[in-house]
Amino acid sequence: MKILIVDDFSTMRRIIKNLLRDLGFNNTTEADDGLTALPILKAGGIDFLVTDWNMPGMQGIDLLKTVRADEALSSMPVLMVTAETKREQIIEAAQAGVNGYIVKPFTAATLKDKIDKIFERIDAS
Amino acid sequence: MESHNNVELLEAARALVTALEADDSQQAQLHLASLTQSQESELFHEVGTLTRELHESLNNFNVDPRLVDLAEHDIPDTRERLNYVISTTEEAAHKTLGLIDETLPLSDSLKDTAQKIEESWHRFRMREMGVDEFRSLSEEIESYLANVKLHADQIHDNLSEMTLAQGFQDLTGQVIRQVITLVGEVEDNLVELVKIAGKHQTGTQKDGKEVDLIKAEGPQINKDKPNVVNNQDEVDDLLSSLGF
Repeated sequence: MKILIVDDFSTMRRIIKNLLRDLGFNNTTEADDGLTALPILKAGGIDFLVTDWNMPGMQGIDLLKTVRADEALSSMPVLMVTAETKREQIIEAAQAGVNGYIVKPFTAATLKDKIDKIFERIDAS
Repeated sequence: MESHNNVELLEAARALVTALEADDSQQAQLHLASLTQSQESELFHEVGTLTRELHESLNNFNVDPRLVDLAEHDIPDTRERLNYVISTTEEAAHKTLGLIDETLPLSDSLKDTAQKIEESWHRFRMREMGVDEFRSLSEEIESYLANVKLHADQIHDNLSEMTLAQGFQDLTGQVIRQVITLVGEVEDNLVELVKIAGKHQTGTQKDGKEVDLIKAEGPQINKDKPNVVNNQDEVDDLLSSLGF
């Protein structure tokens, strides 16, 4: 399982990477916005995408929409980890096909819970 | 004032027409001159008013040279200050995370060795251990105790460094406070500018501006806004109401 972590703050990428490592996900790679994430995704080999929303270049919501519109990537599970907390934004993300939505600051337990739920749903379908 | 002027103008115009019809060129010239003069004086009056307003506006601009100072020095300076906040917090987070990375293996190794010794100790208490094995256990315990001291010292040092790394909050907090003060000052000056400029533009408020509801805003400072969720539970509730 290879996970791509997309966030413009290197500290947040590191925090997520460390938390994922504690959950047993050792194979992670990083990008600092949607524009740098897309070539990595298109190159293949990524199984799970964790992305922030507010980033320069391409924002997380646009990355999500681009992933869903790409035939090769459309079924990729996407978890959004963001400080964006407006209802309109959460609804927009849900409608764009996000698999999980975590608001910052978050806990290791929340991250585990959301990832477990995403895989439960994938296994069930 | 205007209707009074119009009546005068109308009278002068009628007198001019009458004089022209009567072929009285001398009178016609006189009425024509009076008509032109009244127009000119009105024009001068208008130009005078505009000049005075312009002068007052320029004076008002000069009242606060701080505005120029703000635009030239303080705003670029603020950009730098805010970048400083980003780099300082980033540095502190990395430092803390690095120290955590360094400390976790120390506590893990202490735990693992303790567990191993505990098992051997249990066998010793159950009289399941030979003399040679006990000798080796004694050495192991001796080396473990030295290691505990060494690792505990290192963990203590790392924790102290983590504590120190939190000093970023003080440093960035001070900078942010300065920025808040500056923003307040800019706001006051902008209000003054709007007051000056607004004299001629009252009632031209822009209501038609479209609001982008999903525009990224970063952390919400005001948690009381009606369209903002405050925690993960509220996010989960909202998503489940959407059938998630």
